[in-house]
Amino acid sequence: MAVNVLIVDDSLSMRAIIKKTIKVAGFEVGKFLEAEDGKKAMRVLVDEWVDILLTDINMPNMNGIELIGEMKKDEVLSLIPVVMVTTEGSEKRIKEAMEMGAKGYIMKPFLPEEIKEALSTILGEAEYVRRDLDKGYEGRDF
Amino acid sequence: MCAETLTKAMKAAISDVLETMFFMTAQFDETGRTLKEWLSDKQLLFGASMRFSGPSSGLLWLIAPVSTLDDITANFLGIGKEEINDEQRSDTVKEALNMIGGHGFSMLDRKDTFALGIPYLVEGLKAIEDMRGASSVGTILIDIGNNHLAAGAVVD
Repeated sequence: MAVNVLIVDDSLSMRAIIKKTIKVAGFEVGKFLEAEDGKKAMRVLVDEWVDILLTDINMPNMNGIELIGEMKKDEVLSLIPVVMVTTEGSEKRIKEAMEMGAKGYIMKPFLPEEIKEALSTILGEAEYVRRDLDKGYEGRDF
Repeated sequence: MCAETLTKAMKAAISDVLETMFFMTAQFDETGRTLKEWLSDKQLLFGASMRFSGPSSGLLWLIAPVSTLDDITANFLGIGKEEINDEQRSDTVKEALNMIGGHGFSMLDRKDTFALGIPYLVEGLKAIEDMRGASSVGTILIDIGNNHLAAGAVVD
């Protein structure tokens, strides 16, 4: 099953690296979508089907934690698995992200294997998520 | 926290970041040379700076000649040097500092939450000299395969 991946990071280079890492890892990707902050990511989420979202934390306008908070307010968007890919590594920050509902937490600098492992685990559960999303999208007027 | 403690953590972070994300090995100059001796003002120098706050506050910086930044950017993005544009170069130096800062602070104390600002671009040695007027400063002179760059911390 090809998945749509949304990468949220204010660094153009980092978005390119994550994209390349996912491609090299061999995941079947339908669409790579990108946003440079949480606000723009919310717009993409409304317009496009997203199966998995990878986000930085430290971004202008709306940070990664706030983005998860916004997604949680929506019944459908709250089902999309989110992986944090960030430089912030304090226990407090990691706990905060996981409590908000993040499915994974990858620290920069990262090895390609870390992205692959996180995505493999999460996408293994994605069939179920997608089924739930299908139900949620029915009858929605975006 | 003094700048010396912070620069020690930054050195370890620089090694990790350059090796993992840029496929480069960093060596640190310990001969006591000054920043001006390490990086000539005659070259076009670009870099990034970023504020941090938390148990201590201050700023971090990273600067290098454009030619060195091109090598770093090419390695990071996996493209040829001739393909690099200004945006990619600027973005890469900001992201490199962001990773060094985040990784450095997480090595210092995982319980404390240091908040990192958004990295911004700086140009020329004067921008760095102006930052270093604070009481606690630390400078790291870095050699990556005959290319020089420098980083540092200023604690308020």
